[in-house]
Amino acid sequence: MWETTVDGRVLHFHLAGINNQNFIMRDEETGSWWQQITGECVLGPLKGRRLKQLDHDELTFAAWKRENPQGRVLRPDPKVAAAGGYAPADWEQRMKSVPVATTLADPNAVLPARTLIVGVEAGGASKAYPVDALQKQNPIIDTIGGVPVLVLLGEDGKSVRVFDRRLDGRTLEFFRKPDSNELLDAETGSAWDFTGAATSGALAGQRLRKIYSLKDYWFDWKTYHADTGVYLLGAR
Amino acid sequence: MKRWLLFILVVLLTLAFVVVPVFLIQPFRPQTARSLEVGYELRRWSPWLTIATAALSLALVVLIWRGSRRWWAKALAVVLLVPVGASAWFARQNHFEWMFKPLSNAAYAPAGEVDFVNDDDMVLAVERGGERVAYPVRLMAYHHLVADDVAGTPLLPTY
Repeated sequence: MWETTVDGRVLHFHLAGINNQNFIMRDEETGSWWQQITGECVLGPLKGRRLKQLDHDELTFAAWKRENPQGRVLRPDPKVAAAGGYAPADWEQRMKSVPVATTLADPNAVLPARTLIVGVEAGGASKAYPVDALQKQNPIIDTIGGVPVLVLLGEDGKSVRVFDRRLDGRTLEFFRKPDSNELLDAETGSAWDFTGAATSGALAGQRLRKIYSLKDYWFDWKTYHADTGVYLLGAR
Repeated sequence: MKRWLLFILVVLLTLAFVVVPVFLIQPFRPQTARSLEVGYELRRWSPWLTIATAALSLALVVLIWRGSRRWWAKALAVVLLVPVGASAWFARQNHFEWMFKPLSNAAYAPAGEVDFVNDDDMVLAVERGGERVAYPVRLMAYHHLVADDVAGTPLLPTY
């Protein structure tokens, strides 16, 4: 999710190519090429500039609608829909068999190339959390670049959010209450929801700072985050 | 004979201006910084380069036509103008937008009236100044980018 104003001018983007399976976009105004995953201009008059990143969520429609009943939703283009252009519901499964093109020496090192991960950047470092690890262990309590983080999977088993565990100078630990599955912090026993807000207990009304995260394929994340860490179950 | 040689070289060069970037910037082949740069420069200059080589080709065909008595040689020269013209045309196209048509007149529905997204479909969501928007991933995986304005901020969700 990018802001498209650069130097006071709104840029208009078009799909212009592909770079190791991450797309390149071209702005009408200068003809520069931009990398989608980083928002960085890689070629042309604006080379080296970066689009300002805006926080976004990647959620199931049901989870989003519950939190945002008054929101608006992008409609399909009737012509593209009629021509069957849009991805089928099971497209993520189908993508698994698409060949990988990458400059990585071994795209299957550490994880199979098309493993779905949640990529997180914090404290100048980055880390990838395999979605299937998160489905087995939810939440994941971790530290990235010195920043204590909470990686949280929604009730739907698909939506993911990442939060900074620091609140008013203390670092919170989280666990699930075995009988009710409620998310509690170990320090005060307050209950927390998927928006990162405490709903009851001593911290009720408090909110954790959300950290940017991106759902991606492992090889794509690794290509553009060469120094990324990986969270593996049983590794800590 | 020299005219023919030059003409065929110019035709091949014209084709290369458009074929090389298509080959370099394709999904099922890795890109290096260098191949990306060559692709960019060719895409950038090919509209002009192809016009220049098309003009040169036309001049050469006129010379070949005047200098030749064989009808089939004249015909061949004229036929070879077709790939030259096609290259000049292609240099002005964005073939990526043939595959993934851009959403130029994006329309939106209120969350409560949506019947085109399943509950367990993923959406990209943004919130800005109290305005909340969801972009269904199945649509974004096709269009890849959609220009929007959320609470006065020009935005670009990408997928």
